[in-house]
Amino acid sequence: MLTFQVAIAFTGTDAPFGPETMAGCIPAAKLINDGGGVLGHKVQCQSTNTQGDPADAVPAIEKMLATTPGYLVGVLGPSSDEASAVMPLLEEAKIPTFPVTGQPEFDKNASPYFWRTLPADDTLGYAMAVWAKQKGYTSAAAVFGNSVGGQAQVPTLKQGFSELGATLNPVIPIAEGLGSYRTEVQQVVAANPQAIFTELDPQSGATFYSELQQQSTSGLPPIVGDQVILEPAWLSAVGGAVGASTLLNTCVAIQPYAPTQGAAYDAYNTALLGSAGQVQKPDQYSTDPYAMDPYDSVITMALAMLEARSTNPATYNAHILTVLQPASGAVEVNTFAEGKAALTAGKHIRYVGAIGPVDFNQYHNSTGSFDAVRCGPNQNTPVGTISAADVAALNK
Amino acid sequence: MSAVVAAIGFGLVTAAVLALAAVGFTLQFGVTNILNLAYGDVMTASVFAAYGVTLLGGGLLLALSAGAVGGAVLSLLLNRCLYMPFLRRGTELFGMIIVTISAALIIQYAFLAALGPIFFRLPVGEGNVVRLGAMTFTTNELLIMGMAVVAMAGIHVVLRYTRIGKAMRATAGDPALARSCGIPTGRVIDIAWLASGALCGLAGVSLAITLATFTAGTGSAFLVPIIAAAVLGGVGQPYGAMLGALTVGIVSEVSAVYISPQYKSVAAFTILILVLVIRPHGIFAEVSASRGLAA
Repeated sequence: MLTFQVAIAFTGTDAPFGPETMAGCIPAAKLINDGGGVLGHKVQCQSTNTQGDPADAVPAIEKMLATTPGYLVGVLGPSSDEASAVMPLLEEAKIPTFPVTGQPEFDKNASPYFWRTLPADDTLGYAMAVWAKQKGYTSAAAVFGNSVGGQAQVPTLKQGFSELGATLNPVIPIAEGLGSYRTEVQQVVAANPQAIFTELDPQSGATFYSELQQQSTSGLPPIVGDQVILEPAWLSAVGGAVGASTLLNTCVAIQPYAPTQGAAYDAYNTALLGSAGQVQKPDQYSTDPYAMDPYDSVITMALAMLEARSTNPATYNAHILTVLQPASGAVEVNTFAEGKAALTAGKHIRYVGAIGPVDFNQYHNSTGSFDAVRCGPNQNTPVGTISAADVAALNK
Repeated sequence: MSAVVAAIGFGLVTAAVLALAAVGFTLQFGVTNILNLAYGDVMTASVFAAYGVTLLGGGLLLALSAGAVGGAVLSLLLNRCLYMPFLRRGTELFGMIIVTISAALIIQYAFLAALGPIFFRLPVGEGNVVRLGAMTFTTNELLIMGMAVVAMAGIHVVLRYTRIGKAMRATAGDPALARSCGIPTGRVIDIAWLASGALCGLAGVSLAITLATFTAGTGSAFLVPIIAAAVLGGVGQPYGAMLGALTVGIVSEVSAVYISPQYKSVAAFTILILVLVIRPHGIFAEVSASRGLAA
């Protein structure tokens, strides 16, 4: 049995990350097993709870590396909460890792086993600034949690918004998990911003925006967040606090472009919805890039093993690049079954999965365009797009 | 200046919730000498009791009542069924702390296992906004502050003027001597757990209202400021806990006006350390060290 470990928070402030990542791994494993497995092996997904904290994550990863049942072939995660602490361990173990971190410190990653298929947070900061400018906002507040992940996009958001001729004030770092943010809310109300950029954990977001709704005489201003605010837990908490319809009408989330149609998406969504026994309320992840991405990561690793004719992580790791990158003569495949058939026929493949094309740079980072979607469950139709070119214009 | 006045108002709301919780925490510790780190999770359980009542159609007052009753009953059961057996077998302070941590984890994860990592909201309405000068409150927040004042006054009256209050103070001061004087210390301890649990429940429901949402981990996340308020006033000293709650609540909100809001908890805890440097046993402890529970 080949094992993919979902190594991320399952408890603590970022507890939703675990089920979300697992919601990508399980459908992928199902499709791989339905398709005959990998080189005669079945695959499975296991969870390792990092608790979203480096102090807990390091021993958890060490235990995972020592005791994973079956044969550990790949890791999904870690997140920004613990990536800095655990990536060296995973690199030393030579395990291909698809992290869910946007930390800029990995923009020039040197580990051959690190594969980031989602945009870095600093890129996201530029994308949020571009979106706000597109909407005509010339003044905005920024309210971000003071965690590593929460603060990662703030410098580029400030820089990008300023370069676009707009004013960001106030910029409030929030200590998450407190019982009240009324004083911070008052600072926002006093500045009367046209919009608020945000990333807060669900509980803090619910408290902050509920108090903002109470104190503001003109209701909630437009909220521009990142993909964190599309997580079911955030929508549930903040939507419950301010009203789901209010949230839907005032809030957009900027997230990596993820098409919700086509063969790759259909395969993902069908397998996801067919995994109801293992994934709680699977439909909540139908349009979630942070479930689609780990799904693609597992399929990618499986195809790389087939191409390498080896399940040895140190051997197949190099083939991750070749099954994802565009190359002359490569056949585009959108599912594991298509990829396996093409490889069996001796063809070169390029896997384009549910998250869309991946194009790694020399640092194993991939950046594309972004969607703006309303803050509600399963918002399939983007209300706008931020092109990779617009982001690149700021990211000089 | 108006920002500071507003922040003081916001601090009063935080202080009201903290005071309810910290007084309950310190009252129970003063009488029983058990540092009950499951206190935050009893708060959570109380909120779920209140939530159940609201699902049956109950309003805010019924929810608060259910929270108080739920907290009181669970606290009593924890003591009778878990803590007392360990105490009878000679488990000492550090061991009891581990037992209470275990109880906390069991309660928290029981809710997590049963209900999942889901956010809940008490459907009691937000209340209308009331502006008092530069201060802004909701009617729910005014209710919570009023309830805290009444509860604090009630605790004062009970401890100062009633037989059970005097019995509590005597038990806190010297249990063996109190027992030899004919005070039924077992019953007094039960009443202390019930009273502490009721305050814990009221604090939990108040917290859930001010937070807007709650989860299985909400109560435990607020245990540290509760203990801080209790320690600031002097552990075992209800009046000290009231003063500690006011200090933690107001300092944290007012500091957010002057320094980065991310450090507002740091500011409150810095005050805590400075006070403890000057008065190592808390503000009230030295005043009343020889009298058990202050009165």
